[in-house]
Amino acid sequence: MFKDLLKLERFPTTWCPGCGLGMIMTQLAKVMDELHLDHTNTTIISGIGCTGRIAGYFKLDGVHTLHGRTLPVAEAIKFVRPELNVIVASGDGDLASIGGNHLIHVARRNTNITVLCNDNDVYGLTGGQAGPTTPVGTITSSTPGGCKYEPIDLQNLIKVGTQYHYAKTTVYHQAHLRKCIRESMLWQGFSFVNITGQCIENNGKRLGFKSAYEMLVHYRNTYKKAPDGAETLGDNEIGIIRRE
Amino acid sequence: MRRLVQGNEAMFFGAVRAGAEFFAGYPITPSSEILMLAAEHANRHPKFKFVQSEDEISAGNAIMGASLAGAKSFTATSGPGFSLMQEAIGYGHQAEIPTVIINVQRVAPGTGMPTMPAQQDIMQSRFGSSGDYYPFVFYPNSVAECYKYTMVSFNAAEESESPVVLLSDAYLGHLNEVVDFHCIKLPRAVRRKRAPLGTGQRLFTGLVHDEQGRPRTADAETCKRWHVRVSDLHTKVSNRYIDFEFQPNLSSDTLIISYGIVSRVLQPLSSQFALFRPIRMFPLLTDEIRRCANDYRNIVVMEANDGQYATIIESVLKRDVHRVPLFGGRINLASARAGLRKALGRMIE
Repeated sequence: MFKDLLKLERFPTTWCPGCGLGMIMTQLAKVMDELHLDHTNTTIISGIGCTGRIAGYFKLDGVHTLHGRTLPVAEAIKFVRPELNVIVASGDGDLASIGGNHLIHVARRNTNITVLCNDNDVYGLTGGQAGPTTPVGTITSSTPGGCKYEPIDLQNLIKVGTQYHYAKTTVYHQAHLRKCIRESMLWQGFSFVNITGQCIENNGKRLGFKSAYEMLVHYRNTYKKAPDGAETLGDNEIGIIRRE
Repeated sequence: MRRLVQGNEAMFFGAVRAGAEFFAGYPITPSSEILMLAAEHANRHPKFKFVQSEDEISAGNAIMGASLAGAKSFTATSGPGFSLMQEAIGYGHQAEIPTVIINVQRVAPGTGMPTMPAQQDIMQSRFGSSGDYYPFVFYPNSVAECYKYTMVSFNAAEESESPVVLLSDAYLGHLNEVVDFHCIKLPRAVRRKRAPLGTGQRLFTGLVHDEQGRPRTADAETCKRWHVRVSDLHTKVSNRYIDFEFQPNLSSDTLIISYGIVSRVLQPLSSQFALFRPIRMFPLLTDEIRRCANDYRNIVVMEANDGQYATIIESVLKRDVHRVPLFGGRINLASARAGLRKALGRMIE
């Protein structure tokens, strides 16, 4: 049972009702259960922010690193213990902004770890400030006149190496999310799962969404599966691109 | 076998002797020889892992991860890189991670004088990260001691379950001396107590946490318990490392306190002055400093910075000391004599 992998005694989690993180955690636990990953063969490394708390809810050894430093820690663990499955779970601000330099270089070194990026467009925990993935024009608590800049292009950042494995999905597409996590876990090399998830309290409500459900419906209506064999994902496409 | 060895080289060999299995670092003068030796060693010994990090922030965090994974880990850097590692050092203290950071000091602040020696990171070694923590800092003054104190640093890290800072400088790091490693008396390497990652259900975190690793971010009692437990442990471990050198001089009324390469340069003055040299810079050798300073009317602290340790010595002795700063990388007997003449108002032979 996937629930056996979770420290249910620590529930309820620290996350707001309606947060997308519980759905990511559930799908990760389900994939781990399918692949027989547990405390003897797996470790989860998480950073700072709401997503950073994921490591503490799994029944295995986890590391809650400094802000932005999941990847150097995870990579070192993989070098020392290549037999361990190393999973990184963190947010878009942690991975792509403060930890952006590490992301480019760990992708370039193609270290065999899997990164789950909870991409909610903002710094949720600190009050909904704009982050590296905030769409242009979005009003956030740090961009009252609308975000001026284009968001970072994570897909092309991950494609920095000759080998890559990049998946894009959303928390609405639960089966697809599970497939993305599973295939990334099985990939021999660096793999990155970009998961669009809702932050209803510190982003959605400001944008006019009344509930997390409305945000999920928005993801359903916005995102379409990319055609099979696509080499690049379009702005509103979900799918997996890879090169061996 | 007697051979010519450089200070940086001796520190690398000392790390290997201590059982180090992981090095992460970023090239920076005057410490780069240690990184290059680590790369070469990894090439010949697959069990030894080497990462040339994208920056020192990465290196500082990588040694934490490697340590949690079960390897004795270390890095080597200089002032600017040491600054970038400070956040990781604080994390290592909070999460209780044994590791070693070698800082081969150069003239600062900023990019400073990259090839010139200084001792300007004394305060940074003790107080560089945010918060209250109790770091071990060692500073040898010869190539043979570079070897020995690298081992000591690794042992103190294991015993105190915390990051240990091993200081050197551009002078000592590039100093070549004939040594015979087999003749250096060494402590036995301390083994890791904690089980590596992949064996339990623990959480290692930089948040204030209880004994089970659960974050307790609004509980003052947990925070207080942590300080008491960690500072007690560090005090207990520090009792095993009462490392200093004292050369009394009953015909003199002046004691010169110096450390690292400066103490080495001052040796010819031992006929005119009493000399005290802390090797364990922190935790402070409070009792030893007080006892040795007792018989001397004048206390001089000579160091290659603007009185960083002198300020600390004054608070230990509760009296004013003469400060003799050696600036600009010119650490030699002539500068030392000139500084003493100015401080004491008399000629120095």
